Amino acid sequence: MSYTELTVWTRGIIMDKEGRDIVNSVAASARQEGKYAQAMENYVDNPDRTNAPTRKYCRISDHEIENALTYENEQPNILVLVEETMVKGWDYLRGMPPGGTLIINTHYTPEYMIRFVPGPERLAQLVCVDAAKLADHKWLYYRLGELGLDRLSTEGAAERSKAVAPDIAAPLIAAVVKTTGIVKMETIEPMISNKHAFRAALDELHIMPLNPVTA
Amino acid sequence: MSTKGTHIPDWLKVPFAGITPAPTQEKGQDLFPTGNWRAIRPVYRDKMPPCNNACGTNEKIQGYLDLVKRGKYLDAYALIKEDMPFPSVTGRVCYHPCEQACNRGQYDEAISIRAVERFLGDLGQALPHDVVKPGKPNGKKVAVVGSGPAGHSAAYQLARLGYAVTIFEKSPKAGGLNRGGIPDWVLPQKVLDREIERLIELGVTIKTNTEVGKDVTWDELKKNYDACVLAVGLIDSRGVGAEGENKAGVIYGLPFLRDIGMGTSKVKLGRKVAVIGGGNTAIDCAREALRQGAEEVTMITVEGNADEMPCMAEDLHDMLEEGVQLLHGRAVTAVLGNGKIDALQLHPARFSGAINASPITIDKQAAAEKFQAENVIIAVGQSASLGWLPAEFKNERGLLKIDRFGRLGNTNFFAAGDVVQVGSGQPLMVVNAVGDGKRVAFNLDKVLRAEPLQPRTIPLDVITDLNRMNMTYFPHFARVQQAMLPPTSRKRTQDEVIQALSEHQAVEEANRCFSCGTCNACDNCYLVCPEPCIVRPERSNGLYKILVNYCKGCRVCIEECPTGCLEGVPELDFDTGVTRMDTAFAISPGLHGRQAAELANLADRPAKQI
Repeated sequence: MSYTELTVWTRGIIMDKEGRDIVNSVAASARQEGKYAQAMENYVDNPDRTNAPTRKYCRISDHEIENALTYENEQPNILVLVEETMVKGWDYLRGMPPGGTLIINTHYTPEYMIRFVPGPERLAQLVCVDAAKLADHKWLYYRLGELGLDRLSTEGAAERSKAVAPDIAAPLIAAVVKTTGIVKMETIEPMISNKHAFRAALDELHIMPLNPVTA
Repeated sequence: MSTKGTHIPDWLKVPFAGITPAPTQEKGQDLFPTGNWRAIRPVYRDKMPPCNNACGTNEKIQGYLDLVKRGKYLDAYALIKEDMPFPSVTGRVCYHPCEQACNRGQYDEAISIRAVERFLGDLGQALPHDVVKPGKPNGKKVAVVGSGPAGHSAAYQLARLGYAVTIFEKSPKAGGLNRGGIPDWVLPQKVLDREIERLIELGVTIKTNTEVGKDVTWDELKKNYDACVLAVGLIDSRGVGAEGENKAGVIYGLPFLRDIGMGTSKVKLGRKVAVIGGGNTAIDCAREALRQGAEEVTMITVEGNADEMPCMAEDLHDMLEEGVQLLHGRAVTAVLGNGKIDALQLHPARFSGAINASPITIDKQAAAEKFQAENVIIAVGQSASLGWLPAEFKNERGLLKIDRFGRLGNTNFFAAGDVVQVGSGQPLMVVNAVGDGKRVAFNLDKVLRAEPLQPRTIPLDVITDLNRMNMTYFPHFARVQQAMLPPTSRKRTQDEVIQALSEHQAVEEANRCFSCGTCNACDNCYLVCPEPCIVRPERSNGLYKILVNYCKGCRVCIEECPTGCLEGVPELDFDTGVTRMDTAFAISPGLHGRQAAELANLADRPAKQI
């Protein structure tokens, strides 16, 4: 019997879709594997604003999810920061049970980033992956015009780009799956558009082991 | 918007659980800090303006222009005096490397920095007491040899540090090159006299008619003083190696100017005068020759054209206005005449290398020219006269052997000024000598206090260029021109050629300063911040503060900073003072019941968990 919560923290509008792709693809693969799974966005964060911190949630369980109608993850086991400076923002590890995993998209090393993490004793591992470099990312911030979006809303953004994880989400999904094994690699890989970045990330993770949970 | 899970600050007492009180108007932002949106943090960092960097003595030019702009003339004068003992002199004679470096020169016209400096210098001359006071006496005695720019500067800085300074000057009047190398119509004697009075007011003793090596020996300097600064300058004139150079009527440039400056000149110039050389001293000599009664003055240079002459373009222009002729590409090979000069024999010549310090190639095969002249003034450079110096302190070229701190070996002797800088590739000018004197004074102070010497470093690492600045804020304004006497009337008198700026003009000129890379309290960041999260107790450099709890990192202030002082620094570069915030968007503790329990225990938690 297992129940896992995955929370993704991302930046409003400019990295909104990246966060959404992570939770959606993980939940979809879990369902393919016959598990119960949910993926949703944080209700109070919407409508989001450029750069504002927003959250995406995913839950995977072997049995039917009891708190299916609660719209926030209270005890995230896995936490992803899509943008590195969010590491300093606030206590995003709040409610995390011991043995959690924190994954950060950054070019810094885990040794550098751990200084900013609030309460790292809750973590079993800290993973840093330079997703922006692996996916050859050009910040969406500067491309809003060419995508036909404006900075006030992401309304319709998902419909415009149907590809799942074409950008920095791909290496982050690879990091989640490889370091935690919540879904199988072979079920999630076909969903990812940017397969090159996904595979490259598998060899480019910087993992810092911390406090393992002794059963 | 749901306020579920909001951390409630202490100043908002919870009336009952589960309900967040509405934010008040004046403290509304406290509930919704937006600092965690930020990936880049704006930081005020003053950078080096190019003028300050180019100045030989690193005058804080942006600083005093800013003060002049605000009408704080006395503060501006005090700021100049930190680095420059005689702004009234350099305000007249300086070859202003600052203006060549001025960023405004790439935009419309460089700021007339020298004119503003002169305005401040004249203001300082009119004060009954100088703003600079001598330091607390430390009981140590320092000798300074030479009272020229470098010696004056070193003595001034040492007196401010509390040393008892004695200057030895060979000539009957103090001033060195300032008096002997600069004509009266550029720098009136009374201006210099006043600056030397100021130096004496600081407690410096000046012994004139005292020559080192003759009246005071090396051993006496060593025995009677704790330390010594040698700022002896370049005294010996170089010759051109022409036949008959020793004939009466051949005059050397610097002694010619020096004797006029000291009032001991016995030279009577003929109607027709030739000046050999193409540098700044040669130009001064040619213009002085007109004032000494010569009718026709011709300058003979090895350089092929006027552009190649190693001189200030504006001085060349003024000289040509006064009617001096130029003759390029010639070298003097003989001075003809029986007893006195009839003519010069010229041959075509050029520099053998790319720069005009390289040896001269004279084409002796070509036909010689005869140039009629009654006097010839040779101004082709000077060399040091160091016969009195112990041989152990001379290098293979016969110059002073010093380390990079201006120190002679391990002794307490230091050297500064032209005697050090000759051959360094730097142009020899007053302001460089002043800067040298200043740095040597500080090095000497360190040695006497047994502190380690450190190489000179620029305190600010970035020299600001136009790309760092927002030029949309700067309208084009023409440079304020200094009035000048008309050429026909000025060329026969010793009246000062260039006129001073009025107060109004000086302020107008200071107003043109871009304040490159340095905050000048323009208030632009304060006004453009959309939050607004820039605060300042008053409009002043250094008092602007960014409220990092609210700054979203939108970069508007950085983009709109006219001077380039604000810069964006990646947020993760700040590993201290991590601001962690509880916001209206913080993770909810979950169900309402649990929230209520937590809110009840609110008082036990620190207000903000850092």
